[in-house]
Amino acid sequence: MDTELSKLSELEVSTTKLQCKFASAEQPSIDDSPDDLQKLRMENNKLKLRLSVINQSITDELKMTGDSHSEDTLSITEHLEKIFAQAIATAYPAYSDVPVLVAPVNNVSAKFGDYQCNNAMGLAKQMKEKGISKPPREIAIEILKCCPASPIIEKIEVAGAGFVNIFLNKNYAVDALTNLLRNGLKPPAVPKRRVLVDFSSPNIAKQMHVGHLRSTIIGESICRLLEFLQHDVIRINHLGDWGTQFGMLIAHLEDRFPNFLNESPPIGDLQAFYKESKKRFDEDEAFKKRAYNRVVTLQSGDPNSIKAWTLICDVSRQEFQKIYDRLNVTLKERGESFYQSRMLSVVDLLRSKQLLELDEGREIMWQDSEKTGIPLTIIKSDGGFTYDTSDMAAIRHRIEEEQANWLIYVVDSGQSTHFNSIFKAAERCGIVDPSLHRVDHVQFGVVLGEDGKKFKTRSGDTVKLSDLLDEGMKQSLQKLQARGRDQVLTPEELLNAQEAVAYGCIKYTDLCHNRISDYVFSFEKMLDDRGNTAVYLLYTYTRIASIARNSGTDFSNLSDVLNTHALALDHEKEWKLAKTLLKVHDVLVKCANGLYLHFLCEFCYEICIVFTEFYDSCYCIEKNKAGEIVKINHSRILLCEATATVLRSCFNILGLKPVTKM
Amino acid sequence: MAGEDLIAQFQQLGMSEQKAKETLKNVNVTRNLQLALTQTKLPLAEGAGMLLYHMATKLKPQAAEHMPLLVKYIADRKLDNTQRVDAALEYVLRCVQKKNSSLDVAELERECGVGVVVTPEEIERVVQQKIKGTYKEILLQQRYHFNAFKILQEVRSELKWADAKSLKAAIDVEIFDLLGPKTEADSKPLPKQNDKQTKGKENVKPVLNAPTTDAAAEATDGANTIAELMKTKVHFHAPGENYKTDGYVVTDHTERLLKEHLQRTGGRVQTRFPPEPNGILHIGHAKAININFGYAAAQNGICYLRYDDTNPEKEEEKFFVGIRDMVEWLGYKPYKVTHSSDNFQQLYEWAVVLIRKGLAYVCHQKAEELKGFNPPPSPWRERPVEESLQLFEDMKRGKIDEGAATLRLKLTLEEGKVDPVAYRIKFIAHHRTGSAWCIYPTYDYTHCLCDSIEQITHSLCTKEFQSRRSSYYWLCNALDIYCPVQWEYGRLNMNYALVSKRKIGKLITERIVHDWDDPRLFTLTALRRRGFPAEAINNFCAQMGVTGAQISVDPAMLEAAVRDVLNVSAPRRLVVLQPLKVTISNFPHAKAVELQVPDFPQNPGQGTHQITLDRVVYIEHSDFKLDPEKGYRRLSPQQSVGLRHAGLVISVEQVVRDTSTGEVTELVCRCELAEQAEKPKAFVQWVSQPIELEVRLYEQLFKHKNPEDPNEVPGGFLSDIAENTMSVLRAYADRALSCVKAYDKFQFERIGFFSVDPDTTAKQIVFNRTVGLKEDSGKK
Repeated sequence: MDTELSKLSELEVSTTKLQCKFASAEQPSIDDSPDDLQKLRMENNKLKLRLSVINQSITDELKMTGDSHSEDTLSITEHLEKIFAQAIATAYPAYSDVPVLVAPVNNVSAKFGDYQCNNAMGLAKQMKEKGISKPPREIAIEILKCCPASPIIEKIEVAGAGFVNIFLNKNYAVDALTNLLRNGLKPPAVPKRRVLVDFSSPNIAKQMHVGHLRSTIIGESICRLLEFLQHDVIRINHLGDWGTQFGMLIAHLEDRFPNFLNESPPIGDLQAFYKESKKRFDEDEAFKKRAYNRVVTLQSGDPNSIKAWTLICDVSRQEFQKIYDRLNVTLKERGESFYQSRMLSVVDLLRSKQLLELDEGREIMWQDSEKTGIPLTIIKSDGGFTYDTSDMAAIRHRIEEEQANWLIYVVDSGQSTHFNSIFKAAERCGIVDPSLHRVDHVQFGVVLGEDGKKFKTRSGDTVKLSDLLDEGMKQSLQKLQARGRDQVLTPEELLNAQEAVAYGCIKYTDLCHNRISDYVFSFEKMLDDRGNTAVYLLYTYTRIASIARNSGTDFSNLSDVLNTHALALDHEKEWKLAKTLLKVHDVLVKCANGLYLHFLCEFCYEICIVFTEFYDSCYCIEKNKAGEIVKINHSRILLCEATATVLRSCFNILGLKPVTKM
Repeated sequence: MAGEDLIAQFQQLGMSEQKAKETLKNVNVTRNLQLALTQTKLPLAEGAGMLLYHMATKLKPQAAEHMPLLVKYIADRKLDNTQRVDAALEYVLRCVQKKNSSLDVAELERECGVGVVVTPEEIERVVQQKIKGTYKEILLQQRYHFNAFKILQEVRSELKWADAKSLKAAIDVEIFDLLGPKTEADSKPLPKQNDKQTKGKENVKPVLNAPTTDAAAEATDGANTIAELMKTKVHFHAPGENYKTDGYVVTDHTERLLKEHLQRTGGRVQTRFPPEPNGILHIGHAKAININFGYAAAQNGICYLRYDDTNPEKEEEKFFVGIRDMVEWLGYKPYKVTHSSDNFQQLYEWAVVLIRKGLAYVCHQKAEELKGFNPPPSPWRERPVEESLQLFEDMKRGKIDEGAATLRLKLTLEEGKVDPVAYRIKFIAHHRTGSAWCIYPTYDYTHCLCDSIEQITHSLCTKEFQSRRSSYYWLCNALDIYCPVQWEYGRLNMNYALVSKRKIGKLITERIVHDWDDPRLFTLTALRRRGFPAEAINNFCAQMGVTGAQISVDPAMLEAAVRDVLNVSAPRRLVVLQPLKVTISNFPHAKAVELQVPDFPQNPGQGTHQITLDRVVYIEHSDFKLDPEKGYRRLSPQQSVGLRHAGLVISVEQVVRDTSTGEVTELVCRCELAEQAEKPKAFVQWVSQPIELEVRLYEQLFKHKNPEDPNEVPGGFLSDIAENTMSVLRAYADRALSCVKAYDKFQFERIGFFSVDPDTTAKQIVFNRTVGLKEDSGKK
């Protein structure tokens, strides 16, 4: 009986086990599923949670930005535009949708007001077309009557034929500058976008030259500007790291460094290496054939070719990085090779939308249905892809995968036709939706030599960027030595000043011209300490910074100073400087709208000039004959600090490194 | 070098060389003494040196600033005995609550009785008053067995600054005067009766408020019950006197915070039991529950049950329910059930405060980088506050990947860990806060802050957390919030057992045990199922005490506590596990008779039950032997045996065997009335007209003491499973057992203690063996 019993209980146990198995088979439990499935499920859950957290955050942030349109972060022009839009809508409801024209008045005509609204003339004209005759001055008076009160406006006057002049309120200015001193310069509120900036983009195995300089400098500053405005900025370096030239480079590498798979080849001068291979390619048929073959092996992913390719790219990459480090430029590398698989899929997309046409063995795409302009070559007759293909793949990746809604290509003007075609084609095939996406080609002119021709070395070669920077360092040191600064500054301070001047002047010269025009590259002009130059701005800044330092009073904590000393803007020059500083939001918004940085350079220059006027007529620190400080004007020193704060932010966008001593 | 000098100096204080050497080993005392020596000149007056030593051993670090004063007072003989030094130490400690406060010297002198002289006449007067008055009767009765210490204490309360030696002498003289010389009887130890009382084995009910004699309890660390333990063995600080404890950090805000704390709590003791709801409770937790709930109960305070649910990965609803069940099963009721997650918002806001104060920063080192000894320091430690604030906000908003950022505290733990993590990103929903958060605080960060929020007076935890005490205090002080006191006690480990959740899970999936409450395990549910009374577990914890030492005990210790309880609480029943049929050929009754049997034979007043006696009875198979060895006392063909409670003695007439196996299947016996028969050597249990029971017998699961120790068990704990640790028997029981419910407990006479398993149904009654009757019954 015992044995039977134990058998029975054994059976019972196995039945339970089976029942468990049944249960788990019917209801697949996470624990029993294969590892990767389990992992994916978990990953999925995590992503879902993250999505819900992010959605909540978006709602929260929208709520916050919704009511944070305080007067502080709105630019003055925007504020006035709002007021006048309301005034026009009240006075002339039929014309409530006309764009409001408000602009700051330049310094010379300051007595006619600080800002001006010029809508009256336009409205008169529009009314006349409808048969209503009203003098602009009358319209201007109507608008003035309908203006709602605003804390920033002292008074509004109608002048001349129908100009509405606006005078800023001093109390507002005091408040705004006090805030600025307490909290630093806050960006003006603008709708946030996810911006992808494609800039610099040199080619592997070639030196960076002065042509890349412009893209690099302008691109970096645009990124800094947009980041300051709180946009979400992605900086992309669209490296030329793919293409037929790699066939010959790899073939040449195999000959020159047969052991490259095991030992990193010491390619010191990649450019010379490139030239050698190019020469063989042009002269040696067998080599040429092998070079073509290497293109095929590379594209098919042959490990040895990939290894060779990586080695070559790494050499270039290191060279590029040195330049970026010197110029303080940050970039994320995403070369053409990255888009290999995406080119295939973009072709599929275009084909499925029946946008590809056969043309003498090639497959082309027209940028619009009217077939205007030059079509894009998507597939060559030999089946290969072109820049058109990779740029289409890139724009798609940027919009669809990166989720950017603002694309900026910083590329020279010579490529504007190409990029216009790409943008239009992307719109045609539905990648870009103009109502959601903004796409800009930020083009720029060429750099000229002092002879007015394209910038070259004496031997006629293109100028290597590293040589140019070295030369800048040399010249800036000479300049500093000429002024005897090497006697005054510590070696560290001197080096700081030297770098700030050298790199600062190269960047600033590039940025201070309207980027579309060409400019002449001249160290002599750049290093001039008068006029709109980096050196002048840097000097002025160091002078401003030294005022508080020399006052013998502690201005390191501005909030504390403000608790005991109020800002006053009684003197005419104080008031003028204050008004100039308060334009900063207007200027930043203007720069961002057109992606022009020269407005910001001009603004900095204006600040420095107005500051100098102020400093010449207003004592900040009064000393007696013995040179002892007898009186300190805290309010004025605060105004100096406000000037320095604004300049510092602007310098940062322009890539200038402010130094406290030079 | 300095050691030699120091030893010489210490000896000048009055220490023996041996003592001086030993003292040198104690870093803190040596440091205090060295400091003291710089402030005074040797040699000191007679006795002052040792008082200095006394002071140095007792001075708490937070009162160290006042040492020069104490040294001066001792050297000047203003503090001239240990009593005064102790009073002075007590006084300065009371003053440290307020940081940088100066001492009121007049008050100090008053507190210490400086200059107070008690004359021998005064002593004599008071002593006489006591001995010839209050204590006369009892002294005459108990003579020298009376503990004179009581008199000493009482006199002392009247003559606070009387010299102890003179007092003792005066008392001895007066007693001698009263009683005369010691007789022989006075020198003998007291009779046993007293002994039994102190042993207290019969004393099972918690002796709440029962006065304990001084001598009885002091010998061991433990006590018989938790209540007794908490009242006599535990010497924690009083609420609000946090600053008097070792290592407590006093800041500018301490005084105010403690005052506010007392206002909120009304001076009540507040403790908490804070399990992570990621597993089920085991015997180790029983200690924590008893200490926290027990201490609060003993002090008329309150105890929270706080689920430390900061880690969203590991929480399951069933654990929450299970934990609460077990706390209640042990007889405790939480004042309130709380969750760490209740405080997520507050904890977050505090984290922001810490960042603002520059005490925390966002770090991007990967978890792997921080593993091991001496991980590289964080390159992000000095990043601007603004940046950390923004990034922390981004972490909270879900903008940063899991693992790509943590919030770390700028603090080094005693064990050397640098900048512990306070927050990490986890994209996992929390069972209470849902998807509201994707950053979760760590234990290190959460624990002390939740204690502070709940105004915990005593944060009791196991010794492993001693190294976290400084970070605990640091965090509370960094935020200027009330800082509780952490007290540590040793962990309780059970030998031959596993408590790891993962490993028990493995035992279950390997089908070695059936479930979390399999009676072979040491989870609390398993112990309950096995039939351990909660009271026994609590008493066991009380016996273990609250010392700092980690305790590892054999299950036998716990089983002994179980027997102590069941002995007096589990009624007895007759059951045979392996029945052998016995037919009584000369059954003296016409038909079956009913017998009244006491539930507790040693105490018949506690009730009886009825059993049936019939012609056919069943006895334990093992109680009959065909060929008995020498010394065998039970039934054999040649030897009779008594039937317990039946009043019959049976002897074998015929042995019936299975013809095929030769196995004995039945006996035919004759019976005699017990009072007529020759007294049998033994009485055995039996049943008639029985019902069938399923009885499950359990043995120790593991062969080795530490199944997880790779030295002891190289093959891992799964290789250490003993064979046949569970056996199921079909036992016969009297019908008196037919109406039982789950967890009813009985003593099956001559076998052991058994408890009704929850598997019991109307058709099938199932019993688990809780423990055998004797300690060694488990081993064969």
